[in-house]
Amino acid sequence: MSVSLVISAVIILFLVIVQTVVPYLVKRTVVFGVTIPEQYLRDTKLTQYKKQYSIFTIVVGLIALAAYIGWAANNQLTEEQIIIVGTFIEFGIIIISLSLYFYFHGKIKQLKQVNKWTENLKQVKVTDLSIRSQDEMLPWFVFLLPMIITIGLMIYTIMNYHLLPDLIPTHWGPTGEPDAFTAKTPFTAVQMPGMLLLMQIMFIFVHIGTKKSGIKLSATNALASKRRQLGMRKYSSWLLFFVSFAVTIMFSYFQLSTIHPNLFEGTSLQLIIPFGFLALVLIATIIFSIKVGRSDKEIEPIIEGDITDIDEDRYWKGGLWYFNKNDPSIFVEKRFGIGYTLNFANPLGYLIVLVPLVIILLVSFFLN
Amino acid sequence: MMIQIEPDTDIPIYTQLTNQIIEGIARGHIKPGDSLPSVRSFAADLGVNMHTVNKSYHELEKKGIIQIVPKSGAVIIKHEGIDDVTYQKLKEDVKPHIAEAMVFGMTEEDIQQLVKSIIVELKEKN
Repeated sequence: MSVSLVISAVIILFLVIVQTVVPYLVKRTVVFGVTIPEQYLRDTKLTQYKKQYSIFTIVVGLIALAAYIGWAANNQLTEEQIIIVGTFIEFGIIIISLSLYFYFHGKIKQLKQVNKWTENLKQVKVTDLSIRSQDEMLPWFVFLLPMIITIGLMIYTIMNYHLLPDLIPTHWGPTGEPDAFTAKTPFTAVQMPGMLLLMQIMFIFVHIGTKKSGIKLSATNALASKRRQLGMRKYSSWLLFFVSFAVTIMFSYFQLSTIHPNLFEGTSLQLIIPFGFLALVLIATIIFSIKVGRSDKEIEPIIEGDITDIDEDRYWKGGLWYFNKNDPSIFVEKRFGIGYTLNFANPLGYLIVLVPLVIILLVSFFLN
Repeated sequence: MMIQIEPDTDIPIYTQLTNQIIEGIARGHIKPGDSLPSVRSFAADLGVNMHTVNKSYHELEKKGIIQIVPKSGAVIIKHEGIDDVTYQKLKEDVKPHIAEAMVFGMTEEDIQQLVKSIIVELKEKN
């Protein structure tokens, strides 16, 4: 079996599993992007919809995966063909689960309206004045650590400019072998660590943006929502830091092996680095998702009076995109998935996420 | 301390915030010297406009309940006793409510009973 097939198959499997379990890991009071008052969460229709979605997604996903592996194993294919088809299948799975999501989103919206689930409940917003002192996100300056490594790497590259080959690799295949090159100039020599630095700057701003964003508590289950929100903030900052470090190590490895082609020759690092990176990031993401996803499911609610959280569905376009001009938060908790999404009504969010991406894309398309 | 607001009532959100913070101090949940969250994080946590929180903080500052200190934020002021100006203002504020109570036929005793029950409620530990 080729390396590309293994990697693609692992990613597809990961994707299928994640898409299958999503309804069970999202915030407890949101079902397929629709706010449901705590009082009605046990409605049999809702549990039935979740089950239907999950069964359909996993069956279709596993069939696609099996067909893909069978196809790749029985045909003489190039690595490129395998990767391209794998990518198509990944997109296909996302599109299928998204379509299912929209189908159930519509059904539940109707169900909520027909049953008048919010009609007789007083809608409130709550917060805890001392919540900020319980926030355990990493301090922002730890994100400077990987940046120092990157800057060191750039200085080292400039000092050893004469050692660099005339063709500098810009892309690596699944086995860690370079497969695209560009002519050597002082700019292209530090281009890769430069992009890494840009990415790390983006990480810092994502971190600060998350820290400044709201800690949203639920009126009907303050304890559970507090655990989930604080946990998500803490673990997402750890995850971001971990990814930042892992990416730095991988980029440093590639940069150093460009400067000193024989440095890692024959060592196990050659195999571990590209694979290890993928595996570690996937594992870290799974741990994060399960930890956060379960954090608000174990505490039973104590509902005092006929209250419910304010229905914010009107700010969630399609249940997926958040537009709320009044909310100063840059990032808010996703409604379908685990983690954060942008408040699209806040221009700061676009700045943090889009600017570095646009710069990276521009550099890779026009300067090479 | 938990803050709970109802966005869909006639009472403006900033007034609800002001009232709950004052009540929180009266109940002893917030103590003199404590600081309130920053305007930005408070607004973000509640998902309301920053102006709303700002308006409430300024109202509290005008009343002499908090002091807005650059960098440390809004700090609760310690009060030993009431001054004349505040006393007069409180009197003016309470007067229409007493008058309203009298219009509805409440006696002096009824009103005193009402005030007492409110004080008991505020002193209740919870």
